[in-house]
Amino acid sequence: MAVRVTNDTFFEEVLSFNGAVLADFYSDSCIPCKRLSPVLAELEEELQDKIKLVKININFDLELASEYEVQTVPTLVFFKNGREVSRLNGLVKKDEIVSEIENL
Amino acid sequence: MYDTIIIGSGPAGLSAAVYARRAALNAIVIEKDYCGTGQIAESERVDNYLGLYGESGFDMGEKFRAHAEALGTEFVEGEVSGIIPEDDGYKIELSDGNSLSTKTIVYATGASHRRLDIKGEAELSGRGVSYCAVCDGAFYKDKTAAVIGGGDTALGDALFLSKIAEKVYLIHRREQFRANKTLQEKVLNAENIEIITNAVPTEIIGEKRVEALKIKHNGSEETLPVNGIFAAIGTVPNSSLLNGLAELSPDGYVIAGEDCAASAKGIFAAGDVRTKALRQAITAASDGANSILSVEKYLEENGR
Repeated sequence: MAVRVTNDTFFEEVLSFNGAVLADFYSDSCIPCKRLSPVLAELEEELQDKIKLVKININFDLELASEYEVQTVPTLVFFKNGREVSRLNGLVKKDEIVSEIENL
Repeated sequence: MYDTIIIGSGPAGLSAAVYARRAALNAIVIEKDYCGTGQIAESERVDNYLGLYGESGFDMGEKFRAHAEALGTEFVEGEVSGIIPEDDGYKIELSDGNSLSTKTIVYATGASHRRLDIKGEAELSGRGVSYCAVCDGAFYKDKTAAVIGGGDTALGDALFLSKIAEKVYLIHRREQFRANKTLQEKVLNAENIEIITNAVPTEIIGEKRVEALKIKHNGSEETLPVNGIFAAIGTVPNSSLLNGLAELSPDGYVIAGEDCAASAKGIFAAGDVRTKALRQAITAASDGANSILSVEKYLEENGR
């Protein structure tokens, strides 16, 4: 299960994590987010050795969203050793996410 | 070879799937989104579908899908890249390189959000320009947003945003709104919605994010400082796959009557993509039913 990170835990869970992290910015009322959720759950299981998945609910942690200039959901931000490498937004396909992870 | 391939999994496609299963047709649904249910999923609340009063669009779509699944409908996730006529039907090509052959097609691809087509829109899309208020509304807590449009979606969006944002501009090109009267009343009563009629947006201004919207209001230019812009100016039919294959109306809808028969033999258009007076979930579901009746008739008449 992906951890939900907040303003308070983001540094520890994402920025000081040694390795690859996929941060999923989502909102409660967003339908594309609901659709993407099971896809991410699948990926999390299949690629658990490669990447850590965390979720940020922008209804609660709007500050983080604004700090990362996230203005649409879902937005997937890929981090490596605490540094942002790339991002995808909208209802993206599983393959696109996989290839993004492989390029990290 | 399939008896029919249903392209699209909105209310029209799912209803067609139900009727196809019950008619014991060898059918399959191709959908571009994983477990999709079409545009209906984006509606916050649906009050006009018989028997499902007050349901959220998302839940309604899930019920439609569960119904089609319960009858054993098969789904393929994929994007159709081409429809090629063959002697005995059509070959449907998918963007992943696969292809499927079918005797008939139920073309239920629906419609997509219409773009504003003004300067700054593409550059700032996802950076303050949005087409889905329920998705991105939360970003405008205590900020200012503008909604563009005059139909049910626009007024619904304005109301939704008025509960989050500090101020909402509702900008419409005509004097009168097209939205239903109940919504209009609610919008008029919302204290933080400012209605600007007879106005069209001309440019979106912003460096990294939306900062302002330029409009032409009663002939003169005005600039509104806004953080977000929600376009709700209707939809455009996803009919490009039938270009050159079936007759389309000047605005791009597939020309077909209640029997859903397009001008190309064996192709039946169902739902929002078809020429019709009212585009709603209930008329889409009705098309799904009618299209399969037409498929059966076509297969019978053509000895297939």
